[in-house]
Amino acid sequence: MKAAPIFEAGSHRWWILYDQEERRVIDANVYVMESNGQSLILDPGGFEVFPQVFAALVEVIPPSSLKAAFVSHQDPDIASSLPLWHACNAQIQWHIPKLWEGFIRHYGALEAPLQNIPDEGGDVLIGGRRLEFIPAHYLHSSANFHVYDPEAKVLFSGDVGAALLPPGHDAWVGRRDRTGRAFDEHIAKAKYFHQRWMPSNAAKKDWINRVSQLEIEHLCPQHGAIYSGENVQRFLNWFDELTVGMGIRP
Amino acid sequence: MEIQHIMQVVDASFVARQSIEKSLREIDRRALNAMVLVKRHGNTLAGYGVVAQAFRERAANLKESASHLQETIAPLIQAHMRILQHQRFVASFSAIAQAMAQYGQICASLENIRTRWRDTIAREEVEARKILLRLIATVDVLQEGIEEQEYVVTNGRIEAALAEDTGAPLMRVSRDMGEAVRTVSNAIRTYRHQLESLAYESSTDI
Ligand SMILES: [Fe+2]
Ligand SMILES: [Fe+2]
Repeated sequence: MKAAPIFEAGSHRWWILYDQEERRVIDANVYVMESNGQSLILDPGGFEVFPQVFAALVEVIPPSSLKAAFVSHQDPDIASSLPLWHACNAQIQWHIPKLWEGFIRHYGALEAPLQNIPDEGGDVLIGGRRLEFIPAHYLHSSANFHVYDPEAKVLFSGDVGAALLPPGHDAWVGRRDRTGRAFDEHIAKAKYFHQRWMPSNAAKKDWINRVSQLEIEHLCPQHGAIYSGENVQRFLNWFDELTVGMGIRP
Repeated sequence: MEIQHIMQVVDASFVARQSIEKSLREIDRRALNAMVLVKRHGNTLAGYGVVAQAFRERAANLKESASHLQETIAPLIQAHMRILQHQRFVASFSAIAQAMAQYGQICASLENIRTRWRDTIAREEVEARKILLRLIATVDVLQEGIEEQEYVVTNGRIEAALAEDTGAPLMRVSRDMGEAVRTVSNAIRTYRHQLESLAYESSTDI
C-alpha cells in the first residue's frame, strides 16, 4: 500500500493509505488525521490486510501517536482488524456506531475501549481539533457515520463515493482535469456500487441536503479515489440523480 | 516476541528516519554554505574547497544509503504484523482446547492444527529475523558513511586552522559541519541499539 498526503497545514495533516496489494479482498482506503502529534485512523480495514496497512501507516505517523480509531459501520473491510490494532496499542479509543457495538465485538478483543456514537452523531477532539461524526444511516449500513473536519474541509464519506478500481489506481479522481471527463470515466466504476449497495433513496436525499451545507474540499471514500475541488459537486449532483436500491424491482 | 517491544522499535524507526532525514538535509545545507564561502574567497581557500567538495559528496552518499532504510523497515513491520495475526489463531485454538479439557476431552486434530500454526509462526519468526539483520546491515552502511564524514570534518578543521589569516569564518563553518554530523551520528547509534536489542530478543526466541 502507498501513503499520500491529502491536506497539510502546520501540525494538522490528512493522509490516505491506498492501493492494497492483496486482491482477494475488496480494495479499501484507510485515512489518517494527525493534529499536534495525536492521530486518528479512519476505517482501519480488514484483518487480512492489517500488516500492509500498518506498514504504510508507519511511513506517515509513529503508531504511538494513535489516540483513536473511527469505524463508520460494522463491515469486515472496515473493522475486522480491530483486535490486531488493539494488541498493538490498547490505548486506542474506538468510536463506533452504538447500534453495532455487540456486532463489532464479534471481531474479538472484548476488552477494547469502544465509544458508542449515538444515532444523532457527535464529535471527537484529537490534538486540539474537533471532528464531527455526521449521520449517514442506510448509506449503506443501517447505522453509519461520516467524519467532517471543518478546518481541513475534508469529508470522510465511508462507502459513499466508493468505486471499484483496478490495482495500481490513483488516489484522486483526475485532479488536474478541468473538463470533467476524468470524473465521467471514474464514476462509471462507482455506479453499480451505489445502485446495489445503497438501499435507500430517501436516505440519500437527506444526506445530500445536509452535506451540501458543508464546505468540502476533499470527499474521501473508503473505496476508490478522492473527489477534490469541482469533483465534489460533480459527485453530489451525480448521486442525486442516481436511483439506488436496485436489489429489488418495484 | 513481545509485541510491545516491536511497537517500540516501530516508533524508534519513525523517529530515527525523521531525524536522519532532517540532519542529512542540514548537512547538505552546511556543505553548500562552505562551498559558497570558498568560492567567494577565490584561490586562497583552495585547500578548504577540496574538503567542502568531499563533504558534499559524502552527504549525497549518505542520503542515498538512508533512502534504503525505509525499504527494509516496511517488510520487517509487515512480517511482525503477520506473526501477530497468526498468534491470534493459535490463541483461539488454545482457548478451544482448554475449554474441552475442562470436560476431560482431547481432540487430536485440534492439537495438530495448533501445532501447524505454531510451526508457521516459528518459520515466520526466522524470516523476520533475517529482515531485521538486513536492516541492521543497512544501518551499518549508514554508520560507516557517517564515520567517513567525521573524518572529512576533522580535515576541514585542520585546513581551517591553516587558512585562519584569510579572515574567512572557516572555523565556524567547520564547527557547524561537525555539529550536523554529530546529530545524525547520535540518531543512528541510538537506533542501532534499539534494533540490536530486538535482534537479541529474537535470537533467544528462536
Ligand atoms: Fe460497507
Ligand atoms: Fe466498504
